[in-house]
Amino acid sequence: MHPITLFANGEQHALVVEPLETLLSVLRDRLRLTGTKEGCGTGYCGACTVLVDGRAVNSCLYLAVDTDRREVTTIEGLADEDGALHPVQAAFIERFGLQCGYCTPGMILATAAFLSDNAEPTARDAQRALAGNLCRCTGYQPIIASVLDAAARLREQGRTGERPGKRARIRSRA
Amino acid sequence: MHFVGTRRARLDAAPKVTGAAVYTADVELSGALTGVILRSPHAFARVLSVDISKARSMPGVRAIAHAGNTPDALMAFGIKDQRLFPRPYARYIGEPIAAVAADTEAEARAAADAIVVGYDVLQPVLDALRALAPDAPLVHPDWRSYEKAAGRVLRGNICGHNRIRRGDVEAAFKDPDAVIHESRFRFAPGISGYVEPRAAAARREPGGGLTVWCGSQSPYDNRDELAELFGLPPERVRFVNQFVGGAFGGKILMAAEWYAAALALQCDAPVRVIWSRHEDGMHIYPRHGGFAEFKTAAKRDGTLLAMRASFVYDNGAYIGYGNGTAQISTMLAPAPYRIPNLDIEGTLVYTNKQSAGPVRAPGGPPANYAKELHLDELAAKLGIDPLEFRLRNAWEDGDEGPTGQKLSGVRVKDALRRAAEAVGWGKPLPASSGRGVAATWWFSACGASTARIEIMQDGTFVLATGNPEVGTGSAAGMPLLAAEILGIDPARFKLAISDTATDTHDGGVGGSSSTFSAGMAVTAAATDARIKLLARAEQALEARVDDIVLRDGRAEVRGATDRGVSFAELARAAGGTISGVGESTEQNDPEFDETLTETHGFAAWLAPSYTASAAEVHVDRDTGAVTVRKLATAQDVGFAVNPVGVVGQIEGGAVMGLGWALTEELHYDERGLVKPDLKDYLMPTAVDAPEIEVVVLDSTSGVGPYGLKGVGEPPITTPPAAIACAIRAAVGVAPHETPMTPERVWRTINEK
Repeated sequence: MHPITLFANGEQHALVVEPLETLLSVLRDRLRLTGTKEGCGTGYCGACTVLVDGRAVNSCLYLAVDTDRREVTTIEGLADEDGALHPVQAAFIERFGLQCGYCTPGMILATAAFLSDNAEPTARDAQRALAGNLCRCTGYQPIIASVLDAAARLREQGRTGERPGKRARIRSRA
Repeated sequence: MHFVGTRRARLDAAPKVTGAAVYTADVELSGALTGVILRSPHAFARVLSVDISKARSMPGVRAIAHAGNTPDALMAFGIKDQRLFPRPYARYIGEPIAAVAADTEAEARAAADAIVVGYDVLQPVLDALRALAPDAPLVHPDWRSYEKAAGRVLRGNICGHNRIRRGDVEAAFKDPDAVIHESRFRFAPGISGYVEPRAAAARREPGGGLTVWCGSQSPYDNRDELAELFGLPPERVRFVNQFVGGAFGGKILMAAEWYAAALALQCDAPVRVIWSRHEDGMHIYPRHGGFAEFKTAAKRDGTLLAMRASFVYDNGAYIGYGNGTAQISTMLAPAPYRIPNLDIEGTLVYTNKQSAGPVRAPGGPPANYAKELHLDELAAKLGIDPLEFRLRNAWEDGDEGPTGQKLSGVRVKDALRRAAEAVGWGKPLPASSGRGVAATWWFSACGASTARIEIMQDGTFVLATGNPEVGTGSAAGMPLLAAEILGIDPARFKLAISDTATDTHDGGVGGSSSTFSAGMAVTAAATDARIKLLARAEQALEARVDDIVLRDGRAEVRGATDRGVSFAELARAAGGTISGVGESTEQNDPEFDETLTETHGFAAWLAPSYTASAAEVHVDRDTGAVTVRKLATAQDVGFAVNPVGVVGQIEGGAVMGLGWALTEELHYDERGLVKPDLKDYLMPTAVDAPEIEVVVLDSTSGVGPYGLKGVGEPPITTPPAAIACAIRAAVGVAPHETPMTPERVWRTINEK
């Protein structure tokens, strides 16, 4: 058993985790952040994608013990501080980048991480960046359109290079 | 103001992009236990004993459900061949033998492992053609004792059969001037590939009731089936649907729901059964694998004379909802072409594998792939351009379908031309590249459906339909239909998720029917609400009903916008709420010639739509790898109520079809163990998706609201055929086996 301090969407959590406990299980079962979905549990579908220190990872394969003192961003923590949707979320709505919605949290977080590194992607860049996220509904066309639209929104708002997710507010929880 | 036909966001988009949408595995249930399944490790065995004595006393264990303490009743899906837990025969690897509920998953697993099952292991039959042999083991040794519904066929390992015959094929094959072509095909089984695995939760309610949380395509039918098996009154059983993470036919029949319910009925706490991808893949209903043989005769000018075709589909261990695949296949095999002499057969066969079931357009991808590649090869023999060959034989208004159904509003030629044009048909191509084109028809299924609209005094508008939104687009389409009639912006509706307690009965999502039949119910409910609003407005405005317009949530006197009243005020005057209810209206199936069919059951198609796809591919001759450069689909949708949704369905279908054609194969090992994990079952990713062009064709032959037709299934049925024909055009041959993997393409090229 390992004590860790995890910052999830800016909130500090002191947890004791099993050596093989996954980040997915901690997020869903302990923190009740159920926006993160399990699709395959083996790292092939990307539905469980979250950000660790701004980088997209499959939370089903990521050990919780490795998130000690790190910032984890889930779909619940992507919107801006004032509650306004993140430009990637807004773009997915407007460009019809979702149908059943189950792959959507992972798809959006993978996109947010990708766009923080690449402000002016081509469609091919976007396809490659999302190759680890399966969608069975859309055929990907509107998803790629959403990514390019989100990139344009980030540029317009002067937010290129911005790391997605809320900064940790370090405080102890009573 | 017109709302139908405009681009509108889905009403469920916001919760889906923020993580607020609750899917079945996300449901909060305090004190919930975890249920797990113990599955048979044998493809075929007689279960001699199930000893739970050790498991029952293990820590945390609350209940163990098995054949000894659950109903012995048979599930009724046309042939009564399946029990909740098998007795005495377990017929596939993965068949549930028992279910355990415990405080934690680890405790439940440990107890399941401690159950001692005695098996007498038998010789299984794992191949559909082998199962037809006279000396094959019988998957159901006791088949003669089974009850079956009228029109069903059951004969040893044959669990379904239908035939369409017209004219005299043998005479046509003997015509000395006829050019004859024969082909054989094999199709791999596939999965629907929804990203959300099956999950369910159930809780026993005081007074003998049961609540089930699920993500189903058919919660009302599921409720009735479950109530019947457990001997509960249906009105005491409540199915509460959640957001559904994709379905594609794979969530019509219950799966985890059965076991959550069986356990919950023995517990004082709710029970959750959440399956991993692996377990989901062992249990759920794959798309049928199978075989086909075709023999077709044509005149030298390309006029088709006769076709004989036979399909054999592997239905797995139980009938389930497998029957449609064989029926639809025989309706597709000769279509949409004029062929005067036909003899088309479809056979379903039991094997010792999990039950196959309906997956988006059952029978569509295999039947069209086989038929179109076969006809393409015939056209090549005749030296006729594939597009020209199809246009020469394509149905027109006044032609008859395979069973004598009279056709009107036929758009086959338009669809073929528009799809071919979109991929640059006839233009020069680089070496080892080719184009293919394929056409089909499909039905609009009409199910029973009920909808309710509530206009509340606080200014909210609720739209409730029993038809689940499983990702298809009804969350945009239904509000558009209601908005048009009521004069309310569609974004102002709140959608109620399907819950059998709300009593908006619906036959479920299937057969591309949602916007078609549930749309009819929504239209009727909106019309009912409109009549009530107008009656109230007549009094409030002291105006004649003909002079009142409904616009932007208000009733106004025509030409005097200052004389108006809001719907909320009218609802207040009505005592709080104005409700409209509506039902889908039953549609008569078109007439057909019954003498042409044998035990068919699906021989006339309502409001058929016509679809064609075209593909441009490049084949790497050294590796056999196929790159799809462009896919185009032209589909007659009747009328596009929700154009974005229509395009989304067609694009999604195209990529799913590409997967069926090139990569997707559910592998079984020599013992019958399935490999359902996504490292073995390869679905297309964003990188694999080609450029797609969608051509939406309107027509006037639909019978849904605004003349719309079913949309969701046709788009997967023609891309595989177009890709196969494009491969043939590129390198002269295409594999007669799916998926057309690099290895199969390479072998086909090098064996020619």
